[in-house]
Amino acid sequence: MDRRDLINKIFEEGRKAGLEDMEVYIQGSNNFNLRVFKGEIDNYSISKEEGLSFRCLYNGKMGYSYTEKIDETSIDMLINEAIENAKVIDSEDIEEIFAGSNTYREVNSFNDKLENVSAKDEIEFIKLLEKEALKLDSRVVSVPHCIFGKQSLYTMLVNTKGLDLENKSNIAYAYVNVMVKENDDVKTSSKYVISNDFSEFDYKALAKQAVDEAISMLGAESIKSDAYPIILRNDVAANILEAFSPIFSAENVQKDLSLLKGKLNKKIANEIITIVDDPFMKGGIASCSFDSEGVATKYKKVIDKGVLTTYLHNTKTAKKDGVQSTGNGFKSSFKSPVSISPTNMYIEKGDKSLDELIKSIRKGILITNVEGLHSGLNTVSGDFSLASSGYEIVDGRINRPVNQITIAGNFYDLLNNVLEVGNDLKFALPMGNGFIGSPSLKIKELSVSGI
Amino acid sequence: MLSKSVIEDVLIEALSTGGDFAEIFVEDKFNNSLLMIGGKIEKAVSGRDFGIGIRIFNKTNSVYAYTNNSSRENLLKVAKEAALALDGAKGDITLNLMKSDIKNIHNIVLLPSTIEKSKKIELMKRAYFAAKNYDEVITQVTVRYLDEEQNVLIANTEGLYVEDKRVRTRTAIQTVASRNGEMQSGFYAPGAHMGFEFYEKINIEDYAKEAARIAKTMIYADYCPSGKMPVIIDNEFGGVIFHEACGHGLEATSVAKGTSIFAGKIGEKVASEIVTAIDDGTIPNAWGSQNIDDEGTPTQKNILIENGILKGYMVDKLNGRRMGVKSTGSGRRQSYKYAPTSRMTNTYIANGKSTKEEIIANTEYGLYAKYMGGGSVNTSTGDFNFAVMEGYLIRNGKIEKPVRGATLIGNGLEVLKKIDMVGNNLGFGQGMCGSVSGSIPANVGQPTIRVQSMTVGGRKGE
Repeated sequence: MDRRDLINKIFEEGRKAGLEDMEVYIQGSNNFNLRVFKGEIDNYSISKEEGLSFRCLYNGKMGYSYTEKIDETSIDMLINEAIENAKVIDSEDIEEIFAGSNTYREVNSFNDKLENVSAKDEIEFIKLLEKEALKLDSRVVSVPHCIFGKQSLYTMLVNTKGLDLENKSNIAYAYVNVMVKENDDVKTSSKYVISNDFSEFDYKALAKQAVDEAISMLGAESIKSDAYPIILRNDVAANILEAFSPIFSAENVQKDLSLLKGKLNKKIANEIITIVDDPFMKGGIASCSFDSEGVATKYKKVIDKGVLTTYLHNTKTAKKDGVQSTGNGFKSSFKSPVSISPTNMYIEKGDKSLDELIKSIRKGILITNVEGLHSGLNTVSGDFSLASSGYEIVDGRINRPVNQITIAGNFYDLLNNVLEVGNDLKFALPMGNGFIGSPSLKIKELSVSGI
Repeated sequence: MLSKSVIEDVLIEALSTGGDFAEIFVEDKFNNSLLMIGGKIEKAVSGRDFGIGIRIFNKTNSVYAYTNNSSRENLLKVAKEAALALDGAKGDITLNLMKSDIKNIHNIVLLPSTIEKSKKIELMKRAYFAAKNYDEVITQVTVRYLDEEQNVLIANTEGLYVEDKRVRTRTAIQTVASRNGEMQSGFYAPGAHMGFEFYEKINIEDYAKEAARIAKTMIYADYCPSGKMPVIIDNEFGGVIFHEACGHGLEATSVAKGTSIFAGKIGEKVASEIVTAIDDGTIPNAWGSQNIDDEGTPTQKNILIENGILKGYMVDKLNGRRMGVKSTGSGRRQSYKYAPTSRMTNTYIANGKSTKEEIIANTEYGLYAKYMGGGSVNTSTGDFNFAVMEGYLIRNGKIEKPVRGATLIGNGLEVLKKIDMVGNNLGFGQGMCGSVSGSIPANVGQPTIRVQSMTVGGRKGE
């Protein structure tokens, strides 16, 4: 059955069940994934997937249901489950099916050229990446992960209030993880590239970054426990910002789960910090013209020169706060209810290079990797304590590699203790909270635990 | 779920380009989730996951494809597309699928789909009020309720043709304590491979109060000192230390490629001789249990380390081919969207001889980690980390005071050798384990143990 016919049938059956405001959200994707190991294709995966999410207002409450079996046999389940789910909602927050924004800015995040890249070329690219990494240095003993992935995605949002939106996008990524060994010392490093322009996939550059960094970590040792000035390299700063991004969600603020409650228009960071959420950013993985509720997205500064200027809102939290939705009402998948998430969110870059930041430190640590972001930090308290590695800085120069340490502090303190912002903005691999970027950040000090 | 003739046609099509093994995995799963914040139901979602995964091997090359469309025509098309990734010629195929009935050792009494939502909400309210009323510093309580019924059909060209039903239920309670502009949280999330009768076997209020007690204790706690010290890790979810530090490194996923620190070490002493570690997917109704793994192999009890000696790995079919050994029933995947690989089920350190009281009394100075958060590991280097949710400083053999914000880091091979006391109070905790084949339910467990020396990441020197 055609998608449109199915949607009409669902609405028709919903009306018979007494429903008025209903919405169908369909998300489909074509995925391709390749892994190579020792020159052979270790995994080759292709898939087409599609999911349909239904929601409706029943006695003023929003009920949700979804299915991956997209045919008529699912209609009864969708309607019955959504009604049953709406019945149990006892939150007083008002939710609605949205009739649409006045205008939508066009966002082009689908690159036709990417679809035309052949599997043969992609296989060749990923094999060359592994080969290059293995030949760059005799100490490279293995490439445990060497992956290429490509996805094209389409979404369709149709509701009974007349909203009818469609969007499509595509993206590709390559990820390499190398293992180097000298005597009994084993080190690894991972690098990635993510873009919908295949010409940006340079296997030589990617292999070199990963191998150079892994080799540079050989012989790493711990360091004396103390408080040290710290540089969080751009990718590390972006990972930490991503992990703490839920604190900007108005939903968490309203539910007493974010310490940003009551901080609107107040200074919460050093004035050199400006955080932007830009859904129109060129090349942004999260670029889009509308959110999962159909609200037009917009550019905004979340922190402007240290001052918190807005929370991220969907229509429900906006109504509660008496403001307009910021167009951040996203579902993490078609299976999920509408929640809140940033689009392309980043700390605006400053003017110092990473080298200049390093030069400005007499004794400190450059952090180039953190682990345990899903467990070693708490978005409610802002506390973090993360297994880390990087390099000791002595008299403005990299002195030696450091590992088996932790860095610990509080994210709210950290925002105030950023002394300088680098000019090297970089985006983290998306982990489900939008596409988040940061330049390298020089921090006054953090607690370091070692020996 | 699919007719035998369709399955046979799809498997034969999958081998049309020279593959030597093909498998089909059909999943039909009903999920139900409820979110309560501040005592009110905020979100309720239910839905049906449905899809089919087709996998083909040619020696150790593997191809995986999946689709949501179960029509014969589409499945044959998907199988053909997948087969085209291998460019060989068709061999002789004789397929003789024999439906086998599996032995069900996980009895389910009350299917969650037959329980009214109001009953589930009643349970959540009990948890909410028990936590909220625990103390006035508790300012927010979030309760998540989840249940799922997963029906799977697995068939392959070796003649396997089985079906299984997995039923799981879990309630996660998160508490927040606030004081002087600060917030701390507590968490407890009991779950089982069981129906709604699980909640007759446990008292949800006890778990809720415990989650509240953790947040309250931590809001009054000082920051943890940093540096190397002896660490006592309590039972139940404390087993996450073995899970991260060693468990992942014993999965064939990295062992077969030689990228694990434990590769090639069978028969060697890798741990203190008081350490015996086991992965057991057969524990009746345990969170990480299943009758069969996601490749259709019956799960089993696998001894990984016995008295300090490395005895075995956790192996799936594909990595078993690479290693020249049989599957240990460890092939698992989040859903039809993932090709299976070797994963843990219920992994634990076996009971030792000490009591918890003896372990604490024998420690002059150190950290007592009562509840752990999650963690992660780099299997190539063995470097791991995990978070302490509730910790205490120990001085002169006594618990001195609570400390917050600690993370434990170390190296798997080193930490196993430094375990110098093992308690006699084995218990299990429930978690979700993420890896290449997705996020899966896994139990971790251990008695209280002591590690002679570990790096504790805190925020204060002493």
